[in-house]
Amino acid sequence: MFALRGIAVSLTFFVLLYSLLSALVVVAWRSLKLVHAAEKSLAGLLFALRVLPLAASVVITFAFVVPSFQLLEPRSIDEGMGAMPLSLGVCALLLIACGCFRVITAQTKTSRVVARWLEGAHPLDVDANTQTVTFRSRCEAPPLTLVGVRKPRVLVSESTVALLSHDELHIALKHELAHMQSRDNLKKLVFRFCPFPGMAKLESAWSQTAELAADDAAVSKLDDAVDLAAALVKLSRLVPVEAAPVCTVGFVTGSISARVARLLAWDEAGKAQPMRIRPWYAIPSVLVALLCVFVTYGPTLALTHEVTEWLVR
Amino acid sequence: MTKAFSIFGSSSRPQLGPFEQQLLQELWSHGSATVRELLADGRISQAYTTVMTTVDRLYKKGLLDRVAEGRAFRYTPRHTPEELQRVTALENIRQLLGSGDASSLPLSYLVEALSVHDAQLLDELQLLVERKRRELQSRKNKARESNGREQH
Repeated sequence: MFALRGIAVSLTFFVLLYSLLSALVVVAWRSLKLVHAAEKSLAGLLFALRVLPLAASVVITFAFVVPSFQLLEPRSIDEGMGAMPLSLGVCALLLIACGCFRVITAQTKTSRVVARWLEGAHPLDVDANTQTVTFRSRCEAPPLTLVGVRKPRVLVSESTVALLSHDELHIALKHELAHMQSRDNLKKLVFRFCPFPGMAKLESAWSQTAELAADDAAVSKLDDAVDLAAALVKLSRLVPVEAAPVCTVGFVTGSISARVARLLAWDEAGKAQPMRIRPWYAIPSVLVALLCVFVTYGPTLALTHEVTEWLVR
Repeated sequence: MTKAFSIFGSSSRPQLGPFEQQLLQELWSHGSATVRELLADGRISQAYTTVMTTVDRLYKKGLLDRVAEGRAFRYTPRHTPEELQRVTALENIRQLLGSGDASSLPLSYLVEALSVHDAQLLDELQLLVERKRRELQSRKNKARESNGREQH
């Protein structure tokens, strides 16, 4: 009974915190538009914001709620469980089950569709640096797409090879490889795991920013930018009607006209200007937070226990 | 409000007569007004009763709200111009989709229209890319020529 109560309390705390943080993110993420930073950094920030509710809820639950219950809850008292923690615990389990189901469905669907696209495909190129195989697939497949999470592959359709010049194909492949290096398919799968109403716009903004970041990563001079814009326009005419599965990143995604305009206005001096927000910028803040937690761990556990007691009653 | 729209009317405005449109514009610029206030600045030359009948028609079409003010009414537009445009477009599309026996047929018109629009947009983008490429090429040629001259 003690263990069951502990699980119910932890799940209740988790689901409440997750919902509260998610609601805050839904309201607050638009302020990130004011940040003037490189697209790659912006995409990273949007992703961090999208997964923050899940990550923070899991960390706080395991770092505070579970230990506070284990250490401070008297085992001898046979306390009953109220309807509130029980129902919220069930909600949390449903949320986790829903997340798992969405991930498994997305993976299965992607595998099925990719297997169909790969029928009769043959390797076009092997990139030793990125350990990626580029496949030349039949015309029904999307023109150019990165598929898979664990073993990402780039698929290039027959028509794409016929339509693009050597330089255009090269730069378009570099764009897809940039998506691969950012693990964008894995990020999409993570989004599937933590559903919350109202997050679609944030995900769409991330997707658009990730496209621009991949454009930036692929282009290193104005010729590249023009080649990428030309490839984008040409392949836009080939986009199939079939919707792409989750674990894929197509080349022709987002606002084509905005991307083309941005590429044509590309200048080498301008590329260095926007601020890059690197992950290690956060290290001092994380260290300070850890130090604070270390110093105040005892009182925080007591406070957490009081909060959970209040929740249970 | 639905009755004010027609797929055969203007694409961005509900089917309204010229005078109705003029009154709606006036009300948007005033924010809200009585018939007397609309006539006061002299931009409307019609008779008081004509204006009163027309704003009443706009009210019945669901485009205006009104509150009693003394013996008259104060009229306020129910939508901003942008909202009205959006609602009109949505209503037109809804009417179009509901107009045929075969439900997929109107949708195919829409897809066709969008495809034509997309194709035009892509043509324009293609032109921009080609122009930029020519510009780059001529810049390179000039640089090559000036290098050649320096070497000579």
